Amino acid sequence: MSWINVLWSMLASVSLTFALLHLFMWAKGIQPGANLSFAAAAVSIAVITGMEFIAMRTTSVEQMAMLLRWAHLPVLVLWVAIFCFVRGYFDAGRVWLAWLGSGLRVLALILSFTTGQNLFFNEVTSVKQVAILGGEMISIAQGSLNPWYVVGPLSTLVLVVFVLDAAVTIWRRGTDTDRRRAIMFTNSITFFLVTAVSHTALVNAGIIESPYIVSLSFMPILLCMSYELSFDLLRSAQLANQLQASEAELRINKQRMRLAASAADLRLWEWDMVHDEIWSTEKNYKLYGISQEEKISFDSFLNILYEEDRKTVRLAVENAILNGNGHYESEYRIMMTDNQVHWFNSRGRIEFSEGAQPLRMLGVTIDITRRKQAELAVQQQRNELAHLSRVTLLSELSGSLAHELNQPLAAILSNAQAAQRFLARDKDNLAEVQDILKDIVDEDRRAGDIIHRLRLLLKKSQAQYLPLDVNKEVEDVLKLVNSDLVNHNIIVNVDLDQKLPAVTGDRVQLQQVLLNLIMNASEAMSLTHASKRQITIRTEQNSVDNIQVSVGDQGPGIPSESMKSIFEPFFTTKLQGMGLGLPICRTIIRAHGGQLWATNNTVSGAVFHFSLPTSPGQSA
Amino acid sequence: MNESAPIVFVIDDDPSVLKAMTRLLNSIELNVAAFASPQAFLEQFQPGIHGCLVLDVDLPSLSGLELQQELAVRGNELPVIFLTGHGDIPMSVRAMKQGAVDFLTKPVHDQDLIEAIHVAIEKNRMNRRIRAELAEIRERLATLTPREREVLDHVVSGRLNKQIAADLGTVEKTIKVHRAHLMKKLNVRSLADLVRMAERAGIRSIIMDQKEYET
Repeated sequence: MSWINVLWSMLASVSLTFALLHLFMWAKGIQPGANLSFAAAAVSIAVITGMEFIAMRTTSVEQMAMLLRWAHLPVLVLWVAIFCFVRGYFDAGRVWLAWLGSGLRVLALILSFTTGQNLFFNEVTSVKQVAILGGEMISIAQGSLNPWYVVGPLSTLVLVVFVLDAAVTIWRRGTDTDRRRAIMFTNSITFFLVTAVSHTALVNAGIIESPYIVSLSFMPILLCMSYELSFDLLRSAQLANQLQASEAELRINKQRMRLAASAADLRLWEWDMVHDEIWSTEKNYKLYGISQEEKISFDSFLNILYEEDRKTVRLAVENAILNGNGHYESEYRIMMTDNQVHWFNSRGRIEFSEGAQPLRMLGVTIDITRRKQAELAVQQQRNELAHLSRVTLLSELSGSLAHELNQPLAAILSNAQAAQRFLARDKDNLAEVQDILKDIVDEDRRAGDIIHRLRLLLKKSQAQYLPLDVNKEVEDVLKLVNSDLVNHNIIVNVDLDQKLPAVTGDRVQLQQVLLNLIMNASEAMSLTHASKRQITIRTEQNSVDNIQVSVGDQGPGIPSESMKSIFEPFFTTKLQGMGLGLPICRTIIRAHGGQLWATNNTVSGAVFHFSLPTSPGQSA
Repeated sequence: MNESAPIVFVIDDDPSVLKAMTRLLNSIELNVAAFASPQAFLEQFQPGIHGCLVLDVDLPSLSGLELQQELAVRGNELPVIFLTGHGDIPMSVRAMKQGAVDFLTKPVHDQDLIEAIHVAIEKNRMNRRIRAELAEIRERLATLTPREREVLDHVVSGRLNKQIAADLGTVEKTIKVHRAHLMKKLNVRSLADLVRMAERAGIRSIIMDQKEYET
């Protein structure tokens, strides 16, 4: 087997294989322009290889001349393919150069058919048998050269310039990979183009005796180009794998998130604030009364909430936008389709754009219905306990309250009977009677007042937080407890700060605390000498946002070891006490945002203090 | 004896009750002096005032009962009527034991109060009369000479004239003279009157003390 046969067959088959491969890729739509041009190039090289082979084996002059003539056709295709490839794949190289080069090649082809026998030779005079490497005999054409020969190499030159120009463009693009490719590709093309053309010329001129090596020279270029194209293919295969893996992972993560969310009764959500769309892990919108297909905007979300809560949520969102860190938190109720009210706690965070515009909010919502119900139950119980404590307090006062009511009644009776007598004596003494009647009315009102105050403390209702004047509450409680104190010979000193700011609180509960403290003070002094029994009540403003009320007695004081325990439930020094008064008072004050504590006077007695926050919006 | 009109003194710390009660008593033409506190009353108090006291038991700083005691110490003769907003039995018993005329609960019926006041005023009148009489007796006793006084003592002890003469170391005649003088001074006509008067003045028989007089 001659190695020429082997080598040239291999070259041809390799080219065709490349061609097929890249044709396939073109068919698949992968970089169609580049792959098609490459396929064309590969095909033309296969054809050239075939022609070379036949030329080496031919003995006839006509055959040789014809081969050399037709050879320029695949060369044209090849040149055009290279132009297209470089432009399409690298997007570089001046277009006019491409046109020029191609045009010259077309001219060369025409000339090949029109002048002489072919572009190389004016006339092939003979076919010479030459021995080359390995003892092979090949045919070489001999004859006079065509004066138009130069058109061929000229077009090659243009091609080289084009390729080099493209290389410069790619280099300028700057990335390292690009530069590498540029160098590799253009160098190889240039090198082999020059080699092929000059070698062919030399052979044609009879200077060297060797087979044409055009096909051989183009093999590396083909390899390069194929590598380029396949490199991308390889990379995209890798990317496709990675993509699949990430997609699988993403799907698994989403599933996990959904599972976790539903297991924990959570709902994860994202609100695209630019387009006003809410996405959520909650897929069962029917429970909330929204049909599945509706796109959920912020307003449509608000619509499913309880009306009172809509404002709260809106405010919370505004807050989140205005405060620096974008934190959002709110609680709201929704009436679900199972006709139960559900409580939810929502927390989120806003992502801002560079221009501090809100882009989106990501958050979590938890169903806290059970917790809320427990809280409400506890609240209820606390209320009942406070009420019970109030009732107990008041029953302790009942004796003196009855007395308190008795006074106006006694006055009314005496007044009325006096009036009767006056009228009996002197029917015309109406002025006196008028006076009397006026007094009767006043007395009645006074009695009514006491009953009213009693009723207030006796009622059991939800705490209502309203602005209060603590001084007035102190005075009201003192009116209620007045006769009891009188009975026990207790003098009350009041020191009320007239400029006391208002606090927000429940009137009934605050009066309860005051009442409890006053009655405790009274009891503490039961063994104190009658002349020394004094209760001091003081109100003052502690700081810009705090007021303090103190109730002090002249009793024995609190032993230091009991200081902490007095606020514990069921701790009492009274024979008949339940020991719940102070703990309840503490709970009440805490619920109002204040503190309750006790100190001992320097000389004698104890003082109980409680603080309360002032209402917002109060100036100092 | 001539007396000024009786005054009803009312003490109650509740101004409206005080006013109403004053009115009521005025409507039956009684003189009323109203005080809001025991201290205010004590400042004006003079023993020997004609009238009575209507007093609220539940007063701050000095309870009605304590005032009653205080008045007794100062030689009070004003009978006391107690009023209370909430009476309990022990309190009323104590008040009565301390000599109150009555113990009424508020709201008080005008009839009950008026009756009690009349009783009290009457009691006061009686007391005053007795006291006045006693004062007169004492006055008269003070006019006696020591000798006359001695003779009086023996006479009211039941001694005969001659026994008295023997006791005192003098003659019966002298005794008779003393006796006549002292009876005139004391303005009594019979021995029985003399003895009664002496008794009222607190002069006791000396026989009990001197057993050796028995022969």
